[in-house]
Amino acid sequence: MWKWIQAFASPQNFYQISEKIIPWFLSPFIILTLLGLYWGLMVAPIDYQQGESYRIMFIHVPAAWMSMLVYLIMAIASGIGLIWQIKLANVVAKVSAPIGAAFTFLALITGAVWGKPMWGAWWVWDARLTSELILLFLYLAYMALNNAFDNPKTAAKASSVLAIIGLVNLPIIHYSVQWWNTLHQGVSLGINKVAIQDSDMLFALLLMATAFKFLYATLILLRARDEILFREQNTRWVKAVIMGDEK
Amino acid sequence: MTWVDVFDFLPFGKYAFYIWFSYLTAFGVVGFLFIRTTFIHKTIQKQLRNKYLREAK
Repeated sequence: MWKWIQAFASPQNFYQISEKIIPWFLSPFIILTLLGLYWGLMVAPIDYQQGESYRIMFIHVPAAWMSMLVYLIMAIASGIGLIWQIKLANVVAKVSAPIGAAFTFLALITGAVWGKPMWGAWWVWDARLTSELILLFLYLAYMALNNAFDNPKTAAKASSVLAIIGLVNLPIIHYSVQWWNTLHQGVSLGINKVAIQDSDMLFALLLMATAFKFLYATLILLRARDEILFREQNTRWVKAVIMGDEK
Repeated sequence: MTWVDVFDFLPFGKYAFYIWFSYLTAFGVVGFLFIRTTFIHKTIQKQLRNKYLREAK
């Protein structure tokens, strides 16, 4: 297993493998998204309290989950890069940041749009909303710090420390609805707890959540592939790949 | 007349504006991520190709 990980972590192997597996992530993303949209917008029944407006949940909740998952992956990759100096880990952390920021932005926007008809306000300084906004700032700070240095090693070190420190925000986001009195609803899905009782609603939500995971996998492979080409530009294999493309 | 009234002919009635706005924003964000990724890919390929051609001269 360790041997396989080491082989996969080599930039050249990763590049070659990622080229082959990208379609295996992209296709399920498209299929699951179409199915999830159909189930969420057409099949799932109207909510007895929120009416049709709850359908925003099928975008908002998966985006919010992904915003935290991507940050967790980014922080773990940063830790691995910092401790074991694995180049690929730093690449994964770097390319995850803009994707995570996009998911966080989407969660905040859809949350505001859902909040207006339900709470009567686009925004409230609620614990869940504020901690999610801090997550967006953490992503932006990570990207700014990573781009502030010319040397990729120094950039990775500085931004990795920030990513690891920022991890403290994840439990705050998750437990904010339990620790504080908030307008935001409680946990939708958790260990031993399913707040969504209707099976069609739950199915649509799980479809969209899985689709978002495939989306992340596709994007990270696409972006990591380019980042590797850039970082390894002085190697023979990159030259062969680029000049081979021209023929 | 508000935006909510303008879009209430769409499915989901008085919530149409909020729902479709959310879904369109999601499509926009996902589309942006793919377009940006493609742009970065093409730029890097072009930069490296020019570099190697310069070095070959």
